[in-house]
Amino acid sequence: MMSKSRIFGWFLMTVAVLLLSAGAALAKTEVVATTSAMGMLARTVGGDAVRVTVLAPPDRDAHYLQARPSMMVALRRADLVVAVGAELEVGWLPPALQGAANPAVLPGRSGYFEAAAQVPLIEVGEAADRAMGDVHPAGNPHVNMDPVRMAEVGRALAGRLGKMQPAAADTFQANAEAFARQVQEQLPRWQSKVRGAPGVVLFHKDANYLMELLEVPVLGYIEPLPGIPPTARHLESLVSQLRGHQGVVLYVNHQPAQGPQFVARTLGWPVEALPLDPPLDADAQQYLVLIDQWVEAIARGKGK
Amino acid sequence: MRSTQFFTGALAALCLASVTPVFAQPAGPVQPEGLQPFPLFGSSRQITSGTAFNPAISVILDGKYYTDNRRGEAGEIAEHAAGFDGHHGDHDHGELSRGFNLDETEIVFSATVDNYFDAMLNLAVEEDGIEVEEAYGVTRSLPAGLTLKFGKFLSGIGYINQQHPHDWDFADQTLVYDLMFGEEGLNDIGVQLTWLPKLPVYTLFGIEALQGRNEGIANTIDGIPGGLEGSLRDRSGPRLFTGFVKVAPDLGFDHALQLGLFGGGARLHQEDHEDEILQGDTWFAGFDAVYKYDAGRSYGHGNLTLQGEYLYRVKDLRVAAADDLDEIGEKEKFKQDGFYVQAKYGFAPRWTAALRLDMVGLYNRIEKDERTEKFDDSRRYSANVTFNPTEFSRLRMQFNRGDIAQEGGGRENYNQFFVQYQIALGVHGAHKF
Repeated sequence: MMSKSRIFGWFLMTVAVLLLSAGAALAKTEVVATTSAMGMLARTVGGDAVRVTVLAPPDRDAHYLQARPSMMVALRRADLVVAVGAELEVGWLPPALQGAANPAVLPGRSGYFEAAAQVPLIEVGEAADRAMGDVHPAGNPHVNMDPVRMAEVGRALAGRLGKMQPAAADTFQANAEAFARQVQEQLPRWQSKVRGAPGVVLFHKDANYLMELLEVPVLGYIEPLPGIPPTARHLESLVSQLRGHQGVVLYVNHQPAQGPQFVARTLGWPVEALPLDPPLDADAQQYLVLIDQWVEAIARGKGK
Repeated sequence: MRSTQFFTGALAALCLASVTPVFAQPAGPVQPEGLQPFPLFGSSRQITSGTAFNPAISVILDGKYYTDNRRGEAGEIAEHAAGFDGHHGDHDHGELSRGFNLDETEIVFSATVDNYFDAMLNLAVEEDGIEVEEAYGVTRSLPAGLTLKFGKFLSGIGYINQQHPHDWDFADQTLVYDLMFGEEGLNDIGVQLTWLPKLPVYTLFGIEALQGRNEGIANTIDGIPGGLEGSLRDRSGPRLFTGFVKVAPDLGFDHALQLGLFGGGARLHQEDHEDEILQGDTWFAGFDAVYKYDAGRSYGHGNLTLQGEYLYRVKDLRVAAADDLDEIGEKEKFKQDGFYVQAKYGFAPRWTAALRLDMVGLYNRIEKDERTEKFDDSRRYSANVTFNPTEFSRLRMQFNRGDIAQEGGGRENYNQFFVQYQIALGVHGAHKF
């Protein structure tokens, strides 16, 4: 027979262990990233101190998702939302946030972080005229395709995470700096690879940041206007403009292949479908590999 | 160690110093010259095109070409389905005329009011006036997953009830909602409290206290019309109370399922049946299920939505006024149910096709003191094809076949044909679940 005090002792110990383990679990910052590139950044900067959930799978166009209840479950538990921003997720993140009833992660609060608000954007202030397609007057949102901007966003994210976990603040800064260094190390190699590349035709304005970074001209787009599927007339005019030039047609895996394939075939250019986001649980290395893939593909435009 | 502490302290000081600049960043575009990091913690701003204190505004235009094979009376026939012919509310929702129709134009304003509230106003502008569809405030700072909504709003019961006509997959309201709550569904003034506990599975609980101004289940009549004798009960609001639970298991990125249970009751409901006025209380209960498949292809190609709801309603009424005083107090208990199931499939990029089956009155009876009247069920079959040129415009063709049971026995059939356009101006709409 165990004495009462013994039982009580066991009870106290169990409670203590439970509390400690709960404490250890609580110590992690719950980060909800909208896309896998943002998830990669949170993981890279936050290391073991964060737990990352990604809302949009990498094989899907983040413009067109719907606010699913499971997103609200993730956002309900979140300490920090890391979004691409600039209205990329405008269709689903605001309703998901509204449904999540978690005041800590609303825009304007310290639990809301969007990459586009941390760095200068390109294509800012273009006419807010939907006759021009599904335009983003606030600027091109696809900052995740610029590793240098992503490094900058990583630094800002380190600051934010440091505010939430002051004890680990310098680790976050060091992680962000390490990522920025990796990018800086790769940059000259990328630049030399694409030097002399004649340019690319993209499906959508989703890789413009990378082209700007590497000074590769964007020769045209497969879609006539942002968000509008290609028409035969547009493709023909694109082809007639580009006939005699060199280049490469690049599109994203989830975009329809017919238009890009037609243009490439007619012009005799190489064509390649690439992912826009790294795998769901990607680390920094996989993100850099993704950029590598794009760089290799751009370089194919130079021909033999 | 000490240096770390110092560093942390310095960092904290820097944090404090930089809090103000973080939130004081100008909202205007930043010149893309050089990459300068923003303040230490990163901005919490949201980059959008239409904010700066102004509410986000959107306008949705809706128009239809309509025709039927019953000289424009098809809608009327459905309204008088056997067993449902109770309410003669003063809600005179415009039946479509044959030919061109301008349906209501929705004007929606929404904004964050302050740290504590969001608000939204949804006006339906019709040719002969403006109606406030929704006008509510909703809290944004309550703890523990609680949200309070107050004002006029679409009740959280069921699935389709919270959708405005531009969210529907069909040109018209489901028959069961139309006959039980009216074309707008359950839309009332009051308060709603929802609770989303921290659970691994999405589970939302909600309760509502509503004024009770619904033509189908919580109607009130101002006075007894001339020629009738009796007395009407008067009861202050709130007269209508509802509750709902929604559960959505996590099925990954491709699939989503939401199941709901709901119910409600009204403390006072009055109906004008011309030769008599009935009053009493009502209650209803139902369940809803929605499944969505995201094929991951462009422009909605291959996406599938299945949805269905079942509703059961009891109106426990007695004669309150009649031309013959002897009838006063006689019982008339209405028990009816109904459901709809519908499917929408993206058969090509930007194109969807949808099918719907409406059935009402599977259980359909009026229990009176001396006898019980039983009625047949009524059905409607609908099919449509919709083209969405962009997220901001839509063109739809729809065909309905109605097979409606009549109060005195027998059935009436009709065919309806709609061509509908909907176009949205202003801010980007939300892709709500």
